[in-house]
Amino acid sequence: MSLLRQGSAAAAAAAPPDTPVRRGRGTVTAGRSAGPRTGRRSSRTRHQLMGLFLITPFTLLFLAFLVAPLGYAFWLSLRTSTLVGGDHFSWFANYQQAFTDHQFLSGLARVALFGVVQIPLMLGLALLGALLIDEVGSRLAKVFRMTLFMPYAVPAVIGALMWGFLYSPTFGPVQSLTHALGLGSVDLLSHSLMLTSLGNIVTWQWTGYNMIVLYAALQGLPREVYEAAKLDGAGPVQTALRIKIPMVSSALVLTLMFTIIGTLQFFTEPRVLRPIASSVITPDYTPNLYAYNLAFQYSEFNYSAAISFALGAVVFVGSYLFLFAARRRSGLK
Amino acid sequence: MTTAVATPAVPATHHARRKARVSKGRVTVNVVMVAMILYFLMPFWWLVVAATKNNDALFSTAALWFHSPGSIVDNLRQLFTYNDGEYLRWMGNTVVYAGVSGVGATAVATFAGYAFAKYRFPGRNLLFSSLLGAIMVPATALAIPTYLLLSKVALTDTMWAVILPSLLNPFGVYLVRVYVQDSLPDELLEAARVDGAGELRVLFNVALPTLKPALVTVLLFSMVGTWNNFFLPLVMLNNDKLFPLTVGLQSWYAGAMVQSGANALFTLVVVGSLVAILPLILAFLLLQRYWRGGLTVGSLK
Amino acid sequence: MSASRKLPSVRRVATAVVSAAVATTLLAACGGGSGGGSGSGAAGNGPVHIKVWAWYPQFKQVVAQFNKTHKDVQVDWVQAGVGQDEYTKLKTALKAGQGAPDVVMLEFQELPTIQLTKGLLDMSKYGADDDKGDYVDWAWKQVSDGDHVYAIPVDAGPMAMLYRADLFKKYGLKIPTTWAEYKAEAVKLHKADPNAYMTDFGSDETAAGWLQGLQWQAGSKPYDYSASKLPDIGVKLDDAGAKQVYDYWGDLVKNKLVDTASYATTDFYNGLSSGKYATYLAAGWGPGYLSSVAKKTAGKWRAAPLPQWTAGGNAQGDWGGSAFSVTSKTQHPKEATEVARELFGTSQAAWKIGIDQAYLFPTVNSVLNGAYFQDKKYAFFGGQQVNKVFVPAANGIGTFDWSPFQDFAYNTQTTEVGKAIQGQTPWSSVAGNVQQQVTSYASKQGFKVSK
Repeated sequence: MSLLRQGSAAAAAAAPPDTPVRRGRGTVTAGRSAGPRTGRRSSRTRHQLMGLFLITPFTLLFLAFLVAPLGYAFWLSLRTSTLVGGDHFSWFANYQQAFTDHQFLSGLARVALFGVVQIPLMLGLALLGALLIDEVGSRLAKVFRMTLFMPYAVPAVIGALMWGFLYSPTFGPVQSLTHALGLGSVDLLSHSLMLTSLGNIVTWQWTGYNMIVLYAALQGLPREVYEAAKLDGAGPVQTALRIKIPMVSSALVLTLMFTIIGTLQFFTEPRVLRPIASSVITPDYTPNLYAYNLAFQYSEFNYSAAISFALGAVVFVGSYLFLFAARRRSGLK
Repeated sequence: MTTAVATPAVPATHHARRKARVSKGRVTVNVVMVAMILYFLMPFWWLVVAATKNNDALFSTAALWFHSPGSIVDNLRQLFTYNDGEYLRWMGNTVVYAGVSGVGATAVATFAGYAFAKYRFPGRNLLFSSLLGAIMVPATALAIPTYLLLSKVALTDTMWAVILPSLLNPFGVYLVRVYVQDSLPDELLEAARVDGAGELRVLFNVALPTLKPALVTVLLFSMVGTWNNFFLPLVMLNNDKLFPLTVGLQSWYAGAMVQSGANALFTLVVVGSLVAILPLILAFLLLQRYWRGGLTVGSLK
Repeated sequence: MSASRKLPSVRRVATAVVSAAVATTLLAACGGGSGGGSGSGAAGNGPVHIKVWAWYPQFKQVVAQFNKTHKDVQVDWVQAGVGQDEYTKLKTALKAGQGAPDVVMLEFQELPTIQLTKGLLDMSKYGADDDKGDYVDWAWKQVSDGDHVYAIPVDAGPMAMLYRADLFKKYGLKIPTTWAEYKAEAVKLHKADPNAYMTDFGSDETAAGWLQGLQWQAGSKPYDYSASKLPDIGVKLDDAGAKQVYDYWGDLVKNKLVDTASYATTDFYNGLSSGKYATYLAAGWGPGYLSSVAKKTAGKWRAAPLPQWTAGGNAQGDWGGSAFSVTSKTQHPKEATEVARELFGTSQAAWKIGIDQAYLFPTVNSVLNGAYFQDKKYAFFGGQQVNKVFVPAANGIGTFDWSPFQDFAYNTQTTEVGKAIQGQTPWSSVAGNVQQQVTSYASKQGFKVSK
C-alpha cells in the first residue's frame, strides 16, 4: 500500500492498549497533555537548550524533506501550465478543476468502494488471527503467527509481481483452483475482478502485520481479568467478544485509521500490475496513480501537485471525521 | 459456545463435558489456522518452486510443483553473474541504504522522541502535532518537489538522495515518545541529575538502556521500510549502479516485458525476488522475540 | 514475558546484524562515491566523457567498440530504465535542469514529446544533416523536422507475419496474403482446435504501438504535426484507416478468433511457445525476441509478409524503432553529436553486435541492404533468411507523424480498446471516442487543433 504506512501501526501497538482502562484516556490523545515537569533544579534555559539540541536533527529533516517539498508543491499547485504557452499563476483554478475532474472523482469513488469491502475483511481476519494466537499457545499457533507476518517482509513491488504471475489465466495456480471448483476460466485481471484481485494482494500483505499489532495489544492486557471471566463461566468466545475486543479498541481504532489512510493513497499494487493489465488499470485508476501519471507521463507537474493536495485534503478530513466518530462511539475522550 | 453454564453441581462431569467442547473447538481453530497458513504460504511456495525452473518450464509447467529442480543452480549462477554481477551490486546498495537509513533514522527518532517526552522547548507542541499530519501526505506528492529541491544542491542520482529522506521517520519519533513516557519515570532521571549527571549522560547512561527494545523495534522497521522502498529510489536514481534491489528487479522485469532487445529475464526476476526477500524473512524470524518484545513492552511497562 | 530471559542472545544477534550493516556501509560508501560520479565532465586534456542512456544489455559491447575506436571522446553508459521508465526519468531531469544525460536513446514516437519540452538539441548545427543520405528515407523523416535533426535513427520495426509452419501444415492452413484470408484461416484454425488462436490481440499499453503500426499499414495518418508550425496540429484518430483496423480486430475479438491477453504478460509468451498462437504479427526485432521467449519451438517458425488490405498491395507499417538524441542540457554538444552519429552509424563492427546479439533491425542503408544482414540464416526459423521478408517491408514504409502528447494518446487508445474488449462500448465507437478525448486534451494544452 502506501510507502508511508510502513511502521505506522507499530506506533499503535506501542501505545499502551490498556490505557483507556487504566487511565480512561485514549492513546490518540497521548501526545497532547502529557508534558514534562520543567526542570526545577537545573536552570530552565539549560533545559530548553538541551531539548532544542536533541530535537534539531529531526527538525532539520522535517523542514528539508517535508515542509519544504510541501511548500514547493503547494506553490506549484497554484500555477497552471500547458504544453504550449507556458505557465502562469492561477490561484486555486487547479483545485477547482480537481474537484470537478471526473477522472479524479471516479478514482476516489473506486478506492472508497475498495476500502469499504477490503478493510473490514482484512482487519476482521487480523483480529480473528490475533485472538486465536492469544488464546492458543500451541506450536501451530507460532507457525501461524510467523507465516501470516512473512508477507510484510516482502517488498510491495515483489509481492505484486508474484501475484501477477499467480493470477495468470493460463498457468496460474488460482486458475487451476477455479477449474477444480467447477467455476471454469476466471480472468482475475479483467475489469470486473481487478479490484478483488488487488484486494487479495493487499490482504495477503498486510493482514499479518495488523494481526501482530493487535496481538501485541492483547498480550498487554492483564491476565487477571480473564481469570475472573473464566470463573464466571465465560467461554473463550465470550471472553473475546466481551472483554478482549473492547479492551484493545484503541489499538483497533488506530490500525483502522492507518489502513484507511493507506487505502486512500492506494498506489503501489495498481502501479506494478498496470503493465500487465493496462487496459483495465487506467492511468486514473486511483487518485494517487492519477497524480503520478499526470506528473511523470504527461509532464503536468502543476495539476499533479493540485491533485495530490486535493487527495491530501480528503485524507485529512476523512481521518479526522473517523477519529471523531470513533472516539464518540467508544466513549474515549 | 453455549451461554453461562450454572455453577457446576457435579464438577467432574462438567469438567469432562467442557473438555470435549474445548477439544471440538480446538479442532475448528486448528482447521482455520491451517487453512490460513496455506493461503498465506502459497505465494512463497510458488516462488520457491518457480525459482527452480528455467524460462521455458516457468511458462509451461504446473505452477505449484517442481519440474527441473536442478535449474536452481544455473539460475543462481546466472543471477549473480548477469551483466557483471549487477544483482550483487544492487544487493550491496540495498544493505547500505537500509543500514545507514536505519541507524540514522533510529538515532534521530530517539533524540526527538526523548526530547518530546522529557523536555519543554519552543515550538514543541506545533512540531509534535504536525507529526500526525505528516503521514497523510502521499509519497507521490513529495516525490517531484523533493527531486527538484535535491537537484538544486546536486544530490539527485547519488546515494544521499535515497538516504537523507529516509532518515525522517515520524512514526519512530511517536513510538519512542510514547515509550519514554510509559517506561521512563521522571524520578529516575531526576535521581541521576541529583547525582550530578549532565543531561547527555542521563540520556546515554540512564535512558537509552531502558529504551533498548523500542530502539531495536524502530531500527528494524526503519530498515525494512528502506529495504522495501521502491518509489523514492525509482524517482531519485538514474544510474543503475546505484539502484537498490527493488528498482533493479523492476527494471529487469520491465526489460523482459518490453518485447525488445531479445532478453527474457523472467527466471532472473523470480530467483532475484526470492534471494531479495530471504534476508528480511530471516531477520524477522531470528529477531522475532526481540521486536515483538519491543511492540509489546509499551504495554507491559 | 519469557522473552527477557532469551534477550541477551537475541541482543547479540541484533548487535551483530547492525554492526555488520554499518561496516558494509562504511566500506561501500567509499566505493559508492565514484560510481555516482558525473559522466560529462571533461577533466583537463583527457578525453571528453559523454553520458549515454540506453537500455539494451548488449549495448555494453557496442560502447566498448566505440571507446576502443575513439580517442578524444569516451562513452559512459547508464541503463537508467527501460522504455517508459527511462522517459519518466528524462522528463524529470529536464524539468529539474540537472541530471539529464548527454545522449539518450528514445523510441521514434517519443521524440516530439521530448522535443516540445525543449529537451532536445538540434543536431543539424553540428553536422548531423550530412548523414541524411545514409539512412532509409522514412526513418530519417521520423527523427527530423524539416532541416532540424533531433536524433540519429538506429533501429526500426517494419512489420511482418511470423507463423508456425508445423501448425499451418497440421491444420492445412494456407499462408494468408490478405486480411480477409487471414480471417478465413483464423476461422478454420479455431474450428479445428478450439484452444488455438490465429494470434493474440494485445489489449495493453505495449500493444498500442502494434495497433498503431497496423493502422499505419491501413493508411491512417492520425497526426499532422511539425514543431515549426506550433501551435497548429492536425488530429484525425478516426480516419478511414484507423476505423478499418478497429472494426477488423473487433470482429475477430467478438467472434473469439483471436486471444486478448496483454502483450506484457507471461500468458502471451506462454501462448507463443505452447502453440496456442499460430501467428505472431511482429516487427523487425520480433524474431530475436521470439527465439528468446519460445526457445523450445526452435525450427518451427517461418516469416511471411504482412497480409494486405487489397490483394497484391504493398502497404507496410512500423512498430517501434529507436534513435539517439542529444539533450539540450549537454555541455559538449559537438562531442555528444559525434557519439549519437557514430555509436552505430555505419560501423560494421557495431552493427554486427546489434544484429547478432541485440537483434536490432538497421535503418542505415549500407547495413540494411548489405549481404551480411540480408543473407543471414536463422536456425530458429529453420534456416530461413527472414530479413529477406523484413527488408522489403522496411523499404515500403511511408511517412508518418507522431503527436507531441503520444503517451496520452496511447493511454486513451488502450483504455478505449479495453472497454470495447470488455463489451462496455461497441467497437464502432472506439475511433470516435479516442478522437474526441485526444482533441479535447490537445485543445486544453494550448494547441490549435484541426480535425
